[in-house]
Amino acid sequence: MQPIRVALAQTAPHLGDLEANLVRHAELIREARRGGAGLVVFPELGLTGYLLQDLAAEVAIRADDPRLVALAAEAGDGSAVVSFVEESGDHRLFIAAALLEGGRVRHVHRKVHLPTYGLFDERRFFAAGDALRAVPSSLGLGVGIGICEDFWHLGTAQVLALDGAQLLVNVSSSPGRDLAATHAEGLGTAASWRALLRTYAQLTTSVVVFCNRVGVDESISFWGGSEVIGPGGETLVRAPLYEEALVYADVAPADVRRERIALPLLRDERPELLVRELERIVGERAGLAADATGDGEAAR
Amino acid sequence: MSEAAAPPFELPAELRIDAAVARRVIGGFVRGQLRQAGFERALVGLSGGIDSALVAYLVAEAIGAERLLAVLLPYRTSSPASRADAEDVVRRLGCASRVVDISPVVDGYFGAAGTAGAPAVPGAGGTEALAAAPLRRGNFMARARMIVLYDASVTWGGLVVGTANKTETLIGYTTLFGDSACAFNPIGDLYKTQVRQLAMEMGVPDAIVRKAPSADLWPGQTDEAEAGFTYHELDRLLYWMIDRRRSDVELVAMGFDASTIARVDRMVAASEFKRQVPPIAKLGPRTAGVDYLYPRRRPGSART
Repeated sequence: MQPIRVALAQTAPHLGDLEANLVRHAELIREARRGGAGLVVFPELGLTGYLLQDLAAEVAIRADDPRLVALAAEAGDGSAVVSFVEESGDHRLFIAAALLEGGRVRHVHRKVHLPTYGLFDERRFFAAGDALRAVPSSLGLGVGIGICEDFWHLGTAQVLALDGAQLLVNVSSSPGRDLAATHAEGLGTAASWRALLRTYAQLTTSVVVFCNRVGVDESISFWGGSEVIGPGGETLVRAPLYEEALVYADVAPADVRRERIALPLLRDERPELLVRELERIVGERAGLAADATGDGEAAR
Repeated sequence: MSEAAAPPFELPAELRIDAAVARRVIGGFVRGQLRQAGFERALVGLSGGIDSALVAYLVAEAIGAERLLAVLLPYRTSSPASRADAEDVVRRLGCASRVVDISPVVDGYFGAAGTAGAPAVPGAGGTEALAAAPLRRGNFMARARMIVLYDASVTWGGLVVGTANKTETLIGYTTLFGDSACAFNPIGDLYKTQVRQLAMEMGVPDAIVRKAPSADLWPGQTDEAEAGFTYHELDRLLYWMIDRRRSDVELVAMGFDASTIARVDRMVAASEFKRQVPPIAKLGPRTAGVDYLYPRRRPGSART
């Protein structure tokens, strides 16, 4: 199988300006296509900007919105991942990312973990998604999508990989913070993300694609630093910090196969064990069963 | 002791920042704030102190010195050395500048004290204001400077850039609607010692970096003498207390003085009101700042 050229569109969206961002997305999809990209990935809420607050309802679109279909058409026989505010039929608002291919919306992931602490206030404005699904892509690889905070929870990458993802895509609007000089790259946020993305690549023996935005919403500056990491944890490409960029990496499906045969971690996962233990823990936490270890309340 | 050989200050190790990253973030922040508001220019009230000097350097780096106006706002008792330091910044940056002596504004309110040969002349504030204490006069001066800056913002066609640092913001060493008033603040999350680190790395004149910080509200005043602790000590304490969420008990165990901790705790709590937008009595279905929540900058909000 031929390598797949992945393009990371590290953009600075205009806050609340869906139409302007749609135009920019279409331009970048065309440019990336000219650059040979089979997959173009945009950041979390790249079509709307991040710090929307009450604007969220005003920029929300349905997953079958013709403007998404038009973007899918721009991708031609390639694929794209774009992110927006999705309004469901029952009028819940989700932070969503869509895999566009074959001229249509192939799959929509709704952000499962909404950070509502520190500088984040997502659950005030958004509903949480209830599904983690990997989908077979026309790229010839299984694709699993997570949005920013989804990857700060261990289960996400594991479930997506077990469900068939060989390509884990994380789209983010990660605010840069903690400039202590001791951090690699001078940024605490970057150091944390670098570590966890490599961990997921290695533990799931998958390609990890991370596209983080840049630009400024109010007080917050988004740090960029998007990257593609190979299944052994190696960096395939890294975009600059704090600047708009369109960068490319060639991803070889053969590398995923080689890694998974040499290091069969995914083969040796024990999902049935996890399910059993998680069901036990859920029951105990709900008070439906006695704590099997005897001192559960004290331990929690 | 040789003055030249003395280090200008001691930066606590845990507060050292990556200055290159800070400059990039702040540059993007300044450009973003202006663009989103529909402005290309900015202005800064330049006191001759390190905070406003650093802000001028950062804004000049972000948008070009030709788009920056420095406004010098001396009162008749302001230190001439401060004025000279501010003029040095203007000269080095090559930015536009304007000098507005606020003495007539301030004296017009507080009046002129009597001397041996002349009786006191009350100002707009009446006879009572003749005896106003220095702190009250200082706050008035800070607000007079704010008024002039916001008027200059119209004639210059730019946004007022704030210069309050994190240390003084946290302990409340600012004048509400005075020096804290601004369109945006690029250094409000930097402690004083971090302001010094960045100022040094950006080439702010040595005389400004090395001199004792002062509000210059009366001759010879210095922040550290007035507060009773050094910025080194205060910044470290605030960092561990606020950024790193250490309890008072943990802070004492780290070696901080218990009475200093208690005093700083009180200063932080007592100045909470200065860091927040005033509350509106909730009456209607949707109230600004409570359940009507929009970003300051959104489609349609930029000046056209």
